[in-house]
Amino acid sequence: MGSSLGGWPSYNPQNFSQVVPADPSAQPLNVIPATYIATHRTDPPPGQVITTDPKNILLRHFYQKSEEKLRPKRAAPDNLTPQNNGKQPRGPVADGGGQASGRS
Amino acid sequence: MAPSFFRTANLASRVFDRQFLSPRPGTAVNTVRQLYENLVPSYTIYDIDCPDYSFRKFTDDGKYLVAFSRNHQDLIVYRPIWPTFSCNDACDSNDLPPKAKKFDSFFKQLYSISLASSNEYICKDFFLYMECHQFGLFATSTAQSNDSTATEGAIHGVPSIEKITFYLVRLEDGVILDEKAFRNDFINLAHSIGAYLYEDLLCIVSLRYQTIHVLQIRDSGNLVEVRKIGAFCQEDDELFLHSHGQAARGVSFLPGIKQRLLSYIFRKTWNEESDQSLRVQHLKKKFYFHFQDYVDLIIWKGAYNMIVEQVQFLDRHHLFIKFGSVDGGVSRSTEQNLAFFAVYNMETTDIVSLYQNSSEELYSLFEYFYDHFHANPQNSSHGNFISSHSNNFHALDQLRAIKNKASSSSQFVKKMMASLPYTCQSQSPSPYFDLSLFRYDEKLISAIDRHRHCTEHPIKFISVNQPNVVKFKIKPAPAAHMACIVSTDGVLVGLTLEIILYTSKEMIKNIPASFRSNLPMHRMNSRY
Repeated sequence: MGSSLGGWPSYNPQNFSQVVPADPSAQPLNVIPATYIATHRTDPPPGQVITTDPKNILLRHFYQKSEEKLRPKRAAPDNLTPQNNGKQPRGPVADGGGQASGRS
Repeated sequence: MAPSFFRTANLASRVFDRQFLSPRPGTAVNTVRQLYENLVPSYTIYDIDCPDYSFRKFTDDGKYLVAFSRNHQDLIVYRPIWPTFSCNDACDSNDLPPKAKKFDSFFKQLYSISLASSNEYICKDFFLYMECHQFGLFATSTAQSNDSTATEGAIHGVPSIEKITFYLVRLEDGVILDEKAFRNDFINLAHSIGAYLYEDLLCIVSLRYQTIHVLQIRDSGNLVEVRKIGAFCQEDDELFLHSHGQAARGVSFLPGIKQRLLSYIFRKTWNEESDQSLRVQHLKKKFYFHFQDYVDLIIWKGAYNMIVEQVQFLDRHHLFIKFGSVDGGVSRSTEQNLAFFAVYNMETTDIVSLYQNSSEELYSLFEYFYDHFHANPQNSSHGNFISSHSNNFHALDQLRAIKNKASSSSQFVKKMMASLPYTCQSQSPSPYFDLSLFRYDEKLISAIDRHRHCTEHPIKFISVNQPNVVKFKIKPAPAAHMACIVSTDGVLVGLTLEIILYTSKEMIKNIPASFRSNLPMHRMNSRY
């Protein structure tokens, strides 16, 4: 366009409008990339503040593992009919009784 | 800096590169440490007349050399000073000036102070350094008496020492800032096991009274007790109990820390039974029925009957406590008997988790996150760069090799767990021990501050960057020679162009090697 830079690539809608496919028999590609539109609000919750966990990674692991152990095991469900999504619920947890492992 | 296989061996070239190549973000210290590949001990001076003291250790920042008098009563502190000289063309040993053969050229005595009085002795093995204020913590004790008369609160089987005193000394001028005494107590002072310094917090384990004392070192140098864990977990527990007249009624409460242990086991047992209606029954069967057993005997594989053996900080609020046996605590026996490890939150007074010493889960945390057992944010020098199996492939390979060769997995795990809790300041941060820079025989010498047999053969340090190239050797002197290792600070570098560059402390931070005192003196000199 008369630029002193001598016609270097620039954002110009005319660019590539005259492109002729090298292979004339090829089908023109009209693939429109699929776009994803969220069906829910993706805004962060109001007043959210993200901070760094002061616990170092070793301590985080200690807490995480102890939480796993102290969380009550999943109780046996009362009804065993399949859920709507077709998934089978887990079977009842084996009776721990006196076999509680002393090992952590 | 360039990848390792491009690292040039020429020091001048590396210094010039450093002028225009900045290190990757966060790797400034690693980059500086790499320069020690070029600055290695190259010379040994024997038969130096040293003062007749017991040289203990260099501080990690290289500013002080700590020594004790032979009678274990005085503390002598030196300032390492480095003589400089220059020479034309190639220097060899005959060109050393006479001053290079004098102890005083390398070390300047700052002061000698008396720490221990007549019947007390300085514990040579105990020394902790607080780098930010240049405070040193020392300990003196009277002789150990083996007849432990039962005192209230003391547990059986632990000997009693009439008086153990901790001294906080400002190393700059030798002023004793504060002291704290423990009477008729027993604290394991060997290798500083009984204490742990984290930032400005110091915890001291009283084995005899099963109490963890947490003290704060104030900027002024005062030692202030902030917490006492054992009989009571919270500061106001004692007040609460007294005010409610419980003590008067003669009802004895379980020591606070054991309360915590019990409640942890309680919660774990409670959660084992998922059915609500069965829970109470399960609890009755497992917990309450055996409650008295729990108190008196061994339950849960012995967790309850054990004593607090050693403690370390994991951060300002969490302690890592080893529950072991009385023998283990007093004499540090290497037998891997049953032991437990607990993570204790000092704020909430809860036990976060409890592991047996054969726990695979704890071992996996040990394998991946070992550095976090000794990380200390206040390390301004290279304390956070000590090689371990968690940050170095070679060390990890060695660990895995031992693991694969071990006949019993649980014995292997117990053996590894014997190194926990970490012993404060027990490893030298010297770049010469950095496994990414040098290889050496770890049976002969290593970063861990431990007595070793003096060997006849020279200890070779081989470069990792240039395999099979022996960078330097340390030749242990025969016992008759009195000498010590010196560290690098203000290293003299000579170029073949006859230009002497003096690399100041600012260019290369000093990392001293804390070798034992029966090794020969080295002068640092490197020529390219």
